[in-house]
Amino acid sequence: MTGVRARALKKSFGFHQVLKGIDLDVAPGEVVGLIGPNGAGKTTLMSCLLAFLHADEGEITIDGRANDDLRIRRRTGFVPERMNFDRRATGYSFLRYMTRLAGVAHAETDTRVNAMLERLGIAGAAQKRLSQYSRGMLQRIGMCQALIHEPDFIFLDEPTSGLDPNGVLLVRDLVNEQKQRGAAVLLNSHQLAEVEKVCDRVLFLSGGVITRDETLRHRDRIIIAITLLPNSFDAAEVTRIAGNAPKGNTIIVAVETEAEIAELVRELAASGAGVIDVRRHMADLEGIFRGEA
Amino acid sequence: MNGVVVAEVVRRSVTSIGYGAFVALLAIVSLGVSRFNQPGAAWPALVTLLAFIIGCSSIGPEFSSGTLQLILTKPVNRSVYLLSRVAGAVCAVWIATLVAFSMEIIGRALWSGGGGLELVLAALIHSMADTILICALLAFFGSFTRAYFNIAIYFLLMIGLSVSQAVLGVVRASRGWIGEWLRTHDGIDRMIVTVSQNLFPDAPRLLDWKWLLMVLSNAAIALVLACFIFRNREVPYGAD
Repeated sequence: MTGVRARALKKSFGFHQVLKGIDLDVAPGEVVGLIGPNGAGKTTLMSCLLAFLHADEGEITIDGRANDDLRIRRRTGFVPERMNFDRRATGYSFLRYMTRLAGVAHAETDTRVNAMLERLGIAGAAQKRLSQYSRGMLQRIGMCQALIHEPDFIFLDEPTSGLDPNGVLLVRDLVNEQKQRGAAVLLNSHQLAEVEKVCDRVLFLSGGVITRDETLRHRDRIIIAITLLPNSFDAAEVTRIAGNAPKGNTIIVAVETEAEIAELVRELAASGAGVIDVRRHMADLEGIFRGEA
Repeated sequence: MNGVVVAEVVRRSVTSIGYGAFVALLAIVSLGVSRFNQPGAAWPALVTLLAFIIGCSSIGPEFSSGTLQLILTKPVNRSVYLLSRVAGAVCAVWIATLVAFSMEIIGRALWSGGGGLELVLAALIHSMADTILICALLAFFGSFTRAYFNIAIYFLLMIGLSVSQAVLGVVRASRGWIGEWLRTHDGIDRMIVTVSQNLFPDAPRLLDWKWLLMVLSNAAIALVLACFIFRNREVPYGAD
């Protein structure tokens, strides 16, 4: 499985070019966040990837096939920002319809629908009409319809919008489960804290181009930030030991095991550097967002 | 054709209170007028109205509400989806048509010894074919518009053609050179009449296989065009 891939993607509406050559990869088992200011082209990019819009130039493939290939659709899940459907339908009948459309066998449908409603905490509201659902409940049922067929490629557009804290935690768990299952997940969100918590990588989209590609987590490596006591170290020596030059008093290093962290700290201390803090590195998305937007 | 979509459209239609009320009205009218009216003359107009109500929800309104985007991420071919939507709408209308037909047959059996069966049967077949054409045209108009513009286009076209015929008739009868020209060149008039008869045909009283063939052919053309347009149509959602 090769995941989601876009190359030199361009899209205009009239004379306004919204996407100006996007290159994007989402590998299986990876959660990639898409953030950017309003009007950056996030929804247009998502729409092109889902084949709602036709790109003017460039190429989109999902697992090596065209994005509108029905075999790919069978393995795709999409959560829109706002769920719109026949409001007279009950949650159960809506989900049943979506499950059947997704190609799940008739015999399995009810079992899956019940399990998913239970998992998303809306089993009690299954027989209520969608018109009676709150925004958060609609969001949950949106997640249900996207994940019920265990898709390999998942596109989430503001999945936590309108959700209470329990719902946010639930979505976070679900995204992690999909990642563990090996699904490629693209998450479009304005909630930077949420993106920071669930994404392995973040793409900053601004003015129709990806201006920054920031790795937050690595599947095989641990990214750590080591803070040194000011004036206690020789920058050249630290660079030699860690393989990275310190930025101020901090060195960002990628290691494979926790034993490597211990060894690195020991070597730094032996060189005379005062190690005052070692922690997993989280990019300061808010800071980067302010800079990029 | 996708059975899941067809079944869903039928379910959604027949479970609505409005549909139930309409079918009840249809049944009462069919039963009631069977005592004194011409066979198969009353309910086909109501069936046509129902075809407008159910058929107009295809594609255009779904496009505007955002429902379509959700459907298009599922493994359903766009053309298959459109055809299934139309088939579902047609089935829902046919159920009501059969109710009306049955009630008229029952009424005639009760009150006039079952006479006029041939005319009622012709009305049933014509009405069923007309439903296909109406739903196909509404799907075609919906394939390139938003919201309920499909029904607006349908009626504008129908009214426009009638008005054109009337205006041409008046001008033709005038003494000026335009009237003279129109009297010697009746092609425009014939073209408008042909288009009108093809898109909005009046059902004959007796079973007419040529009429049926024309209606079904036109419906097929409308559906082919609708599929072609819808397959290539962009379906944007949301806003950045």
